[in-house]
Amino acid sequence: MDAITAIAPTRVRINRLLPYWAVFQADLKATFNSWIYRVWLLLSLGVLVGYLLYRFGARHIAGMIQSAPDTMGDLMHWVIYGSLTLIIAITAGAICSERGSMADSILCRGISRYQYFLGKWHARLVLILGTFFVKNILAMIGAYFLLHSEAITIHGSLVAMLVVASMLVFVITFGVSVSAMSSNTLVSIAVVWMTIYGGGFLLAQLPSIIPSPERALQALPNVIKGFYDWNALSRTMLISLGVSLGTAMVGMFYFARRDV
Amino acid sequence: MAEISSGLVVETDQLTKIYQNRQIALNDVTLKLEPGSVLGLLGHNGAGKTTLLRLILGLHCPTAGWVRLFGQKMTPNAASLRCRIGYIPTNPQFPSGMTPITYLDYIARLFGLPAEARKPRLASLIRAVDLLGASGDRIENFSNGMIARLAVATSLINEPDLLIWDEPTLGLDPEARRSMLELIKTLARDKTLIIASHNLSDIDEVCNHAAVLSHGHLIYFGSLQDLKGRMKRNHYEFELEGDQKAITRALQALKGMSDFKFVNLKQRRLEIRMSEEINNTNALANIFMTFADSKVTVISIRSVGMQTEQAFLDLVEEEASRGFTRAYKNAA
Repeated sequence: MDAITAIAPTRVRINRLLPYWAVFQADLKATFNSWIYRVWLLLSLGVLVGYLLYRFGARHIAGMIQSAPDTMGDLMHWVIYGSLTLIIAITAGAICSERGSMADSILCRGISRYQYFLGKWHARLVLILGTFFVKNILAMIGAYFLLHSEAITIHGSLVAMLVVASMLVFVITFGVSVSAMSSNTLVSIAVVWMTIYGGGFLLAQLPSIIPSPERALQALPNVIKGFYDWNALSRTMLISLGVSLGTAMVGMFYFARRDV
Repeated sequence: MAEISSGLVVETDQLTKIYQNRQIALNDVTLKLEPGSVLGLLGHNGAGKTTLLRLILGLHCPTAGWVRLFGQKMTPNAASLRCRIGYIPTNPQFPSGMTPITYLDYIARLFGLPAEARKPRLASLIRAVDLLGASGDRIENFSNGMIARLAVATSLINEPDLLIWDEPTLGLDPEARRSMLELIKTLARDKTLIIASHNLSDIDEVCNHAAVLSHGHLIYFGSLQDLKGRMKRNHYEFELEGDQKAITRALQALKGMSDFKFVNLKQRRLEIRMSEEINNTNALANIFMTFADSKVTVISIRSVGMQTEQAFLDLVEEEASRGFTRAYKNAA
């Protein structure tokens, strides 16, 4: 190993964005290759394809007609409810599962805690939201052609996906933030799971003037048909994004001051 | 080596770490490390060595006190300071599925090294640590020696001014250990190193400074030479030649003297432990006079116990015996 000292030292200009980008890319790849992500992808694709084929069969064989927007509304509603547990598992272990030696070997390098948190958070956001959009665009196209419905509008479909995506942004952000504050993956998953489901249930019990995920999901068929109040929906989405941003800030600043 | 504004590479002041108000891992540690030093960090398991290293690296936040590196305060977000450090943890962990090339590239990107600088650098390091043949293999299939060499390459990818290596020879075979020690000696020519190790002979061989931690308290910080100077020189072994009766006669005479706590003869090898309060020069003179009177020839004489190890053990024992007085610096 004497040859090491023969390597001439070189002074180079440091790229300050590169550590963030390295964590982002590595986490995107690792999450994509993780079994839990693949289980989520396969299950939700299976449900989407299965439900569309069931509706197609019911229409042609039994004459049971359900409009494409209603079918898509059902799918988004129930696939999201079913997916939440797996999405929580994907996000709530993002940082705390690497505590100890693995985090040591990354955080002792030229990377700040902020960059590490942002890299992890953005990687999970991109992967989960990207998967959600691709799956739902395919499902919309499938519903349009299989169920021969003229009722699906492009702008309505887009807005419906944005509404659900804004809720997913909160779930992902909350998961990663709790993961940054927790030392144990199971505890982190339990906290996020109870907060998301418990919070969703409580919001649904409040008067309808207060936006709730359940009410937003129930309104999806009408949104897909193009019947929606943009101001109300944009307010719901902005609240969700604002709360997500606040949660991320709390998680990031706490993580920046804790022991790893 | 880069210019260091305060003249010190590492400076800690009253550094204290208490975990969750339950465990005092480090207590009031103040030390100053100058450029070019090779510091051996000694201490039993749980003495606080790794905690001190993690505080220096900014992986942990101090409960009290502070750490400065190259004149600047270390914090968890001091990424630019960590760009000047090369760290090897006790048991380096590597992400599964990576090869030495992908891993070193990843680490180099974590230091913000652009492609034109990191690619040639990682290629040179892989060659230098003899991993060229395994550069495309998955790291999880590597032996301990290969892992250690990869960890060395990782700690050098950013051309650091300060190297912090926690137990670098742990789990290595004798050949790999020797190679590692030679590397440390070579690197010490132009870098500052902190080596934490249980293996005192390693510290003895490569370090010029020592810090001894005991139960989170820094009980010694200074040159290794001074540490050895504090060693109690009261245990000797003589190899003798001469008539067996003469040797036995000398043995009886020595046993009769009050200067010695323990005298034992085993196959012409005489082991003597002196009382701590006596002057060892006078005692040795008495021993030689006894041998001369009994017409016994001395073939060799050696001080028993590895020097650094003995000094370390003496220091820890002395600290333990101080009891309550250890709380008061004036009494120390």
